[in-house]
Amino acid sequence: MKKVYSLVNITKAKDQEAVQSICIKQIQLTDQKQEFNKRPTKTGRRSLSRSISQSSTDSYSSVCSDSSEDEISPRDKVQKTSKGLSDFCIKNIKQAEFGRKEIEIAEQEMPALMILKKRAGGEKPLAGAKVVGCTHITAQTAVLIETLVALGAQCRWSACNIFSTQNAVAAALAEAGTSVFAWRGESEDDFWWCIDKCVGARSWQPNMILDDGGDLTHWIYKKYPSMFKRLRGIVEESVTGVYRLYQLSKASRLCVPAMNVNDSVTKQKFDNLYCCKESILDGLKRTTDVMFGGKQVVVCGYGEVGKGCCAALKALGAIVYVTEVDPICALQACMDGFRVIKLSETIRQVDMVVTCTGNKNVVGREHLDKMKNGCIVCNMGHSNTEIDLASLRTVELKWVHVRPQVDHIIWPDGKRIVLLAEGRLLNLSCSTVPSFVLSITATTQALALIELFNAPEGRYKQDVYLLPKKMDEYVASLHLPTFDAHLTELTDDQAKYLGISKHGPFKPNYYRY
Amino acid sequence: MSEPVGDAKLEVKQASKEVKESENVAEKYSAMTVSKNSEMNMGELSTVFSAVPTHKPVKKQIQFVEDKQEFSRFPTKTGRRSLSRSISQSSTDSYSSAASYTDSSDDETSPRDKTQVNTKGSSDFCVKNIKQAEFGRREIEIAEQDMSALISLRKRAQSEKPLAGAKIVGCTHITAQTAVLIETLVALGAQCRWTACNIYSTQNEVAAALSEMGVAVFAWKGESEDDFWWCIDRCVNTEGWQPNMILDDGGDLTHWMYKKYPNVFKKIRGIVEESVTGVHRLYQLSKAGKLCVPAMNVNDSVTKQKFDNLYCCRESILDGLKRTTDVMFGGKQVVVCGYGEVGKGCCAALKALGAIVYVTEIDPICALQACMDGFRVVKLNEVIRQVDVIITCTGNKNVVTRDQLDRMKNGSIVCNMGHSNTEIDVASLRTPELTWERVRSQVDHVIWPDGKRVILLAEGRLLNLSCSTVPTFVLSITATTQALALIELYNAPEGRYKQDVYLLPKKMDEYVASLHLATFDAHLTELSDEQAKYLGLNKNGPFKPNYYRY
Repeated sequence: MKKVYSLVNITKAKDQEAVQSICIKQIQLTDQKQEFNKRPTKTGRRSLSRSISQSSTDSYSSVCSDSSEDEISPRDKVQKTSKGLSDFCIKNIKQAEFGRKEIEIAEQEMPALMILKKRAGGEKPLAGAKVVGCTHITAQTAVLIETLVALGAQCRWSACNIFSTQNAVAAALAEAGTSVFAWRGESEDDFWWCIDKCVGARSWQPNMILDDGGDLTHWIYKKYPSMFKRLRGIVEESVTGVYRLYQLSKASRLCVPAMNVNDSVTKQKFDNLYCCKESILDGLKRTTDVMFGGKQVVVCGYGEVGKGCCAALKALGAIVYVTEVDPICALQACMDGFRVIKLSETIRQVDMVVTCTGNKNVVGREHLDKMKNGCIVCNMGHSNTEIDLASLRTVELKWVHVRPQVDHIIWPDGKRIVLLAEGRLLNLSCSTVPSFVLSITATTQALALIELFNAPEGRYKQDVYLLPKKMDEYVASLHLPTFDAHLTELTDDQAKYLGISKHGPFKPNYYRY
Repeated sequence: MSEPVGDAKLEVKQASKEVKESENVAEKYSAMTVSKNSEMNMGELSTVFSAVPTHKPVKKQIQFVEDKQEFSRFPTKTGRRSLSRSISQSSTDSYSSAASYTDSSDDETSPRDKTQVNTKGSSDFCVKNIKQAEFGRREIEIAEQDMSALISLRKRAQSEKPLAGAKIVGCTHITAQTAVLIETLVALGAQCRWTACNIYSTQNEVAAALSEMGVAVFAWKGESEDDFWWCIDRCVNTEGWQPNMILDDGGDLTHWMYKKYPNVFKKIRGIVEESVTGVHRLYQLSKAGKLCVPAMNVNDSVTKQKFDNLYCCRESILDGLKRTTDVMFGGKQVVVCGYGEVGKGCCAALKALGAIVYVTEIDPICALQACMDGFRVVKLNEVIRQVDVIITCTGNKNVVTRDQLDRMKNGSIVCNMGHSNTEIDVASLRTPELTWERVRSQVDHVIWPDGKRVILLAEGRLLNLSCSTVPTFVLSITATTQALALIELYNAPEGRYKQDVYLLPKKMDEYVASLHLATFDAHLTELSDEQAKYLGLNKNGPFKPNYYRY
């Protein structure tokens, strides 16, 4: 009891914990890149779009355009578009046509951006905006970039990850006139060179940043401080990048307004709850062909991801147990009809263990030792820390790689544990991220850019902002036609009664959805 | 009026400073072309505040049951209701088992004119009949069994007496569940004087049992307006006893103290307020710079919100419909208006029984959630001719109009789970050409000239309160939250709480939840030191940032 009285201020202390220099670690091997995301996030929240790259080398994703035919570095090549432009640097401009097809496919799944293009096309709300971007370069991003261009912006782009670039898409973008500096398999040196080429053009000064991870922002802040000061705004998508912005802001060094799109309602719900609800089943089926009915599954963690996993598994008739540390989430699990237990209580009887805590070493060697033969272990949570893999790399255990992403670990007595994606994120390694989810993110980014660029002087100070609820609602409304959903409109009388505008925002800021 | 910046401040007191929502909502860009409307910028607060005139509700408080609903009718956009407060609305006609069965009409003398003494010789109370104490004790003991959280709080904190020295004056419904709360406070060291926040809701025998135990209770079922204020005054105004904490439900007690005893009011250590209405009045006071003591808003705590809305309605929608109409749900077409917490609960429950559920929504975010959860989002007019059941849970008014009722098919059921009695335009049905036929308690058939019948439940009032019961477990959540809020305010070091309205610290919310886990035999996992360090968390919580949505 006593503890309870005086714990209100703890949060504050935590905020002061230093951010170690995260910035430099960025470019290394894939495995170590995961370290980068390992920074404590209390929410166990992950930036999907950022993390996609972690697995892009081994994913099931349909779009892989890299060829090993050409070993010359793009930096040494001279390439021109059909219009004679050469202000770009990509693997091979000749792939443009393939890339265009990819972009067109993505467009069909990203209706919101298409609507935005149409609605705002006449107005050009981004006329005069010079956007420098650093994101994954994929077909979906390309749709975003081309939307920005259609809205009047000039764009220069580089990749936020050395492995995730779809070369064909980069070619298509370059061909269409966007200055892209990115290819799959850059070196660390290439990475910064690309960023610098993006920013450091002589006759072109960016006034907006669209960043994913904060590397671009950091580079401009360090190398071009005078340019940084003249920016109209920064839009940042990833947990990491947002974290770095808050640090800057805390140190009072953020001299431009920044928008945190990571924490918008729609993005959060889609990246976590809805996306994971589908990908847990997809990922498990693709890798193990397991049947769920009647199977006993323990899901570690009942946050958004855990809620999604549990709902999906329950719907297929699995018997689901939950482990939790947070009593509120535990109570939610109880009310939703799941037994809340400690992992060690059920570990001997379960057929599957799914981790989604955002924590580390949730499944330890002692648990793995007790599991029954054929038990499947996978991670839906955060990075690759949740399952204590290091403890499995011992001499007495035999690892057998049976399929892509599937390892059997064999104990001396013959017991096998099925480990998926070597403990990395199942939803990224063994299933795909639907374009529809990426569409939510991209639309949010586009609106954030428009908002920051068009905001009257003084609306945004030198600080980090959340997207206005109004915008969040707009993003959602743009995605409703996909479902043929018909929104009801308030009458004037009703709006007055509720004391809200007919066009939103409909909820107070603290509303939990 | 519209100070958007104040909004975030009010609501999320402890939220990290850096996350400033940009309030001046940005519809600068014409994306939402239609909406170049100055109202937009009024922000949430202004509207919430302007909705209820501060003093008016006080006047209105004591009238007929019907009129009392006016009192809670002020707009809340969230469609959020304070269950515990509203219970009273239906206490005259509810199915609740705990209705005062000893409430006999044999005794017409006003309790104010009676002299009663409890077995210990004290006469500092005023209840209907002290002799009913034994019956009341039994009610309390039954309630205790479902309120294990308070009982375990008693056990855990009894030796420490965290409320030693607290003099709490309370104004809530006086029911067996409240009695468990009051006796918990006493067990923790507090002295309590209590009065009822509603003239109809008091369980006389429970009041008697409390008085017998030495708590000064001033309340009986069926007070007059004059009695109501007399009781409050007797609670506060007693020689040799100055309250230093207020536990209020509805804000009447707070208001009375503020107006009548400003000097006592200033010396209060803290106010704990439970209802939407009361919280609203506190925010207004605070806004006007007149709140000179810290206040705690327990209405918006996570656990209370989820239980009052999502979980409670998920069960009561089925219960209420079954009890009144014995309808079978499988294959029935149901339209649920509104997909907030209440709507989510209703939809989940109906879907689970095999009903075909449609949703209407105005908020695109909630509409998208409905889509992703597998419900068709429609306009009411599109499905009105084909549905068997209409359930409103919007918090809005006239969601179902006469025009729509005219088009419903024969035998369809209309009911309201949302807010007050405004959602269905019942007034429009009171016309000469329509025949009303009361077929059961809470069930009316409204008959059109052509013979079509529409089944209206609870005359458009809240189905879950009129036609089903509120489980003690839900009230336990509220009561535990109140007890912890009192402890927190009373024990907080000087300066932690200023003269403002606060949300319960998340830590407390988590503690309330953890006290209720035992009921489910749920075993919480503990973080190891290493894991806590990795997450940057304290092992004992709080586990989530303030803006976490659950």
